[in-house]
Parts: sequence; structure tokens; C-alpha cells
Amino acid sequence: MATSFSSLNWHAIHVKENKVNDREHYVPGPAGGAQVRKEGEKWTLILVRELRHSPEKVWQALTDPAQLCEWAPFDADGSLGTVGTSVKLTTVGAPTPHISETRVTRADAPKALEYNWGGFDIRWELEALGGQTRLTLWTNIGRRFISMGAAGWHICFDVLDHLLSGAPIGRIVGPEAIKFGGWQRLNAEYAKQFGTETINWPPQANQKP
Amino acid sequence: MKIKVTSLYVDDQEKALRFYTDVLGFVKKTDFSQGPYRWLTVASPEEPEGTELQLALNTNPAAKAYQQAMFQQSQPAAMFFTDDVKGDYERIKARGAEFTMPPTDVTASIIAMVKDTCGNLIQLTQLARYSR
Repeated sequence: MATSFSSLNWHAIHVKENKVNDREHYVPGPAGGAQVRKEGEKWTLILVRELRHSPEKVWQALTDPAQLCEWAPFDADGSLGTVGTSVKLTTVGAPTPHISETRVTRADAPKALEYNWGGFDIRWELEALGGQTRLTLWTNIGRRFISMGAAGWHICFDVLDHLLSGAPIGRIVGPEAIKFGGWQRLNAEYAKQFGTETINWPPQANQKP
Repeated sequence: MKIKVTSLYVDDQEKALRFYTDVLGFVKKTDFSQGPYRWLTVASPEEPEGTELQLALNTNPAAKAYQQAMFQQSQPAAMFFTDDVKGDYERIKARGAEFTMPPTDVTASIIAMVKDTCGNLIQLTQLARYSR
């Protein structure tokens, strides 16, 4: 991470190098800030994160395709910032190409954003906390995969925080996340918190019917 | 190189998993998810390390049109081999599956056709054994 003695020029020259170094040194914190709402088979994951950045800045990162590809688990082919627009979302690193078309159903900048990602509802809320933002994500996920989802979003939020602080470490999603020890640990921690089972890993392991 | 996985489009992965395991008798092999993507495969208990059948969620309009057309033309989306098509027919029917063709003699085999409840017809094939 750029330290206090860094000038802007120094930062510009070394930003790429830092990206690699910071990524190597990145270790996610313990599982936290997540809840699961269980309504029958329909489970909703709720993740809360406080970011030291304004809601306007966070809103840009949630809607601008150029910023989404720095931290989000999907690529967008257009802005998510306007209600009614159709945007194609590509899941990054899926084992076969996976593109789903979404429609932005709510975009109240910089407070609330809603759309659907391949059948899963995504709802973001941004609450101003004196220049900072409390960001909340609601998303429905199948119960078997909810700890994996929580671990994945946890890491995405860390990467987002680095990006907003001007020290990007590059997104960690899909295969990058799964290979990452931090993700595996978070998956186990969230599974324990939610009272779910972790899935056998690696996935090729035989499973009894 | 090996032929290790073949894919089938289904309109509901949970429903497909129930049909291919509880009704047909395959076993779940691999199941993981990434965001809205879910990789789900089953295998035959007679050949657990054999070819896997991927049950892929069909959200693709082009694939949906193809799937519907094939179904309407009674074309099977996949074919499984068995040594006892009549026995399998009775067993699978008893579990509530709907056959569109009972075991029928055709050239070099006996075939039957069953609906998978997820948009596909599945053909069961027993190769005929001719005495020389």
C-alpha cells in the first residue's frame, strides 16, 4: 500500500507494482457483517460493510462498468445506474460462458440500486454516515451455496475498499477466489455462523446420492 | 483426450436433479455454484468414474428454441445404454415418469423414450444381440 511519504508521481509509477504486492499480502479479516434470512427454501444473504468513502463514490463503483470489472464477480456491458436499462452481465470465470441480461429495476443515486443477476435478486443500499457509507447488499442464494457466496462477496468488498482508497489489488473472483486460502477459510467460517454445511472440495470428489 | 462430460439443457436444475437421481437412478457427482451459475453433474452408479452428464440451466433463448423444436419432433436430447430396457422401463414408470414410447424394436436395438420433466426426451437403448 502507498505509504505517507509517497508523492503522486511516485504513486503513479509504482501503482502497478503495488497492485501485485498488495494482492500478495492481502489476507481477509474474519467472517462478519453477514446475516441470513431464512424463509422456507428461500434464503437471503445480507452483507453490511462500512466504507470510508462517500455514497457518491461508492455509487459510481457499483454502477460504472469500468469500476465493476475491478472488483465485482461479473462484467457489465453498460452502466447499471439508470432505471429501466437492459445490461448484459457476464459471470467471470464460470466453467462455461455465462451471460445473463438484466434490467435495472431501481436506481436512486446514491441510495438504492436493484437489479437481477441471472435469476438472483440483488439489492444495494447506501447509507451516508458523515462522509462515509454503510453499504448493505441483499441477495437470494441457494442454501447450499450461501457460505460460498458470503465468502466471495466478503472478498469483493475488501477489493472494492482497496479500489476506492486508490490502492487497487485487482479483483479476486471465480477461480482466483476458490484457489485462495482466505476464501476457503471464510467459506468455513460463514458456514459455521449460518449453520450450513460446507461443500466437498475439490468439486470432483465423489458424493453419495 | 477423453469424452468425460456431456451436457443437457434443463429448465430447472433442482427438478432435473430429482428426475435424474430419484427417477432414473443416477447419482450426483459434482455440484458447485458461482454467483448465479451452477455446475451440476450426475453419473451412473454402474460407472461412477464414467462420463458425467451436466445438467445445465437453460437461460439461453437460442438453446430454448432448439430444445423445444427437438422435443416437438420427438428427437431425444440424450441417449443412455442399458442391458435391460424392459426392466428399466417398468422401474422408471413405477416411479411416475411419463414415457412417450414403450420399449420398441428398431434396427439393431430396442429403444424407449421418456420425458425428463425439464424439457427433454431421453432415449433408453438396449443393443440387440444377434446370434450368428
